[in-house]
Amino acid sequence: MTALAVQNVSKYFYEPVEFQVLKNISFDIQRGEFVAIVGKSGSGKSTLLYLLSTMDTDYQGDIALNGTPITGLSQGELAAFRNAHIGFVFQFHYLLADFTVLDNVMLPALKLKQKRKEEIEHKAMELLTLLDIKGHEHKKASKISGGQQQRVAIARALINSPAIIMGDEPTGNLDTQNTQIVFDTFQQLAREQGQTIISVTHDEEFAQKCDRIIELSDGEVV
Amino acid sequence: MNTNQKIASVFLTSRFRQLIVAVLSVTFGISMYVAMNSFMAGVNDTQTEITFTAMPHIKIYNDPPEDFQMISPAPADSNTLLMVNNARNIRYTEGITDVDAIKKNLANVDKLFGYTAQINQNVFIRNGVSRASANLSGIETQSENQLFKTADYLVEGDLFDLDKRANGIILGVGLAKRIGAGKGDNVVISTSEGVSKTFKIVGLIETGAVTSDRSRAIVSIQMARQLLSHNRSYATELLVNIDDYNEARDVASNIAQITEYKVEPWQVGNSQLDSSSLLRDIIAISVSLTILIVAGFGIYNIMNMTVNEKIKEIAILNAMGFSGKDVIEIFLLQSIIIGFIGGITGLIFGNIIVQIIDLVPFEIGTMTTLPVSYRSSDYLMAFGFGIIITFIAGYLPARKASKVDPVEILRG
Repeated sequence: MTALAVQNVSKYFYEPVEFQVLKNISFDIQRGEFVAIVGKSGSGKSTLLYLLSTMDTDYQGDIALNGTPITGLSQGELAAFRNAHIGFVFQFHYLLADFTVLDNVMLPALKLKQKRKEEIEHKAMELLTLLDIKGHEHKKASKISGGQQQRVAIARALINSPAIIMGDEPTGNLDTQNTQIVFDTFQQLAREQGQTIISVTHDEEFAQKCDRIIELSDGEVV
Repeated sequence: MNTNQKIASVFLTSRFRQLIVAVLSVTFGISMYVAMNSFMAGVNDTQTEITFTAMPHIKIYNDPPEDFQMISPAPADSNTLLMVNNARNIRYTEGITDVDAIKKNLANVDKLFGYTAQINQNVFIRNGVSRASANLSGIETQSENQLFKTADYLVEGDLFDLDKRANGIILGVGLAKRIGAGKGDNVVISTSEGVSKTFKIVGLIETGAVTSDRSRAIVSIQMARQLLSHNRSYATELLVNIDDYNEARDVASNIAQITEYKVEPWQVGNSQLDSSSLLRDIIAISVSLTILIVAGFGIYNIMNMTVNEKIKEIAILNAMGFSGKDVIEIFLLQSIIIGFIGGITGLIFGNIIVQIIDLVPFEIGTMTTLPVSYRSSDYLMAFGFGIIITFIAGYLPARKASKVDPVEILRG
């Protein structure tokens, strides 16, 4: 089953001068695949990821996620779609600093409102246990270490059991040990839960271990 | 508490000092609104009270008709010339000859607070060699007191002694001073008809309206009728007070339908009172609204700063699936909470300021402290305006927050 279908997608930047970042890109990703998107700086890999993430809607072509065409949906519909079907892990952890670890993990599920608060809390605790952050759940997100924060971000990405998890250099800021933990978690999710993982990375070693590598160069798939 | 409310409250409490400053700016604006308007209302009320100590809301009296008729009808024939020399509009009767009949009819008119008959006449008053002209009022003590609280303004003696002593008289303090008389002294009243009678001063009155205090002499209405040789239902004017003096014009036109006499609401000839009250209200409201708007700018500024500070958080919320509408709700809620807390504390603080103003000594005329008035409408308006202004001041930054492009922020 196709988790993600990209057809003839092009994108232009207009500032400071008009420039085509992505040139007619097309590819499919199957459900349960663990895909790395690699390429040099400026090759357009992050730009592509943000198009796939539905946050950037300024492009030509068609993108379908999980069988749903997302091109042309309104901002409100896209937000609801992201909430239910996509989990994000960024290079910098990007947690909400004023909230506790547990609240950070629970927020997307509270927004989705498909489960009762107790169930969400239970699920969040399970994820925190899985990612070995149990015991820190009532601390403020800004009061734990960088590696822990990145794992909290992963737990947050997983709370709604999204079909697709997207990472923008999720290990870019981590040491070897934490990189290994993140990679193993992702691999486990893809194998055991059938979740699709798409990750932009600079890390050769990380990319080599993925199921598939999509390499971009000057806005084209190589 | 739903998710957006939870986020709003966490954002709000994470910057506690900013929250306090924002709340204080609303508190200040609203308390100033309450204080200014209560003070102005107090001034207006005092002004009105002084004005209406001697002046009724509606006066019924005998006036020559405005549309007098020609003595003979205009000739139909254009060849005939009508000449009337020295035509005059003559008043055939003096005063109101049967005031009891009008009083009976007044019982059917709505919104009346009370009415009283008076006989007013210019007389001379003498105490030995001191002589002064005075305005003699024959009053019905009970109903006069009901309308004008006359008894409260007596500095010496008792108003109702007029009923007990036929030859009792009450003088304005200014008048008593002019003729050098005090309570217990005898004075002689002479009318323009040449009748003189000796009265005993049973009281002194001070209303604060200086001109009236310098010329006023009060006797009972029966005594005035006797002095001026009039029948027992005679009065020169019938004074009517109504529940709300602002409605005097309407009620006056109702009364005009049941009597032949002239019915005059207080606004006629006293428009300066009306306009000065209105002007004071305009000043109070515009100054206090300005203060509230300045407070609004304060909130706008703080919310704008908060949005800039939280721009990364907004982008993360966006990425997690919170829509622009959610973001507006989150930030608007924060300013509404600020407005609400500031509003409540503002009302309390405003009330305290008003109570302090109420205690400030101000001894002019009959006043002892600065006048204030406690009206719930001022408090409601202050709160209402406060909420509206914080809503607007919060909406603009909230809308800006909802327009944040998450990609731009998250890509760094």
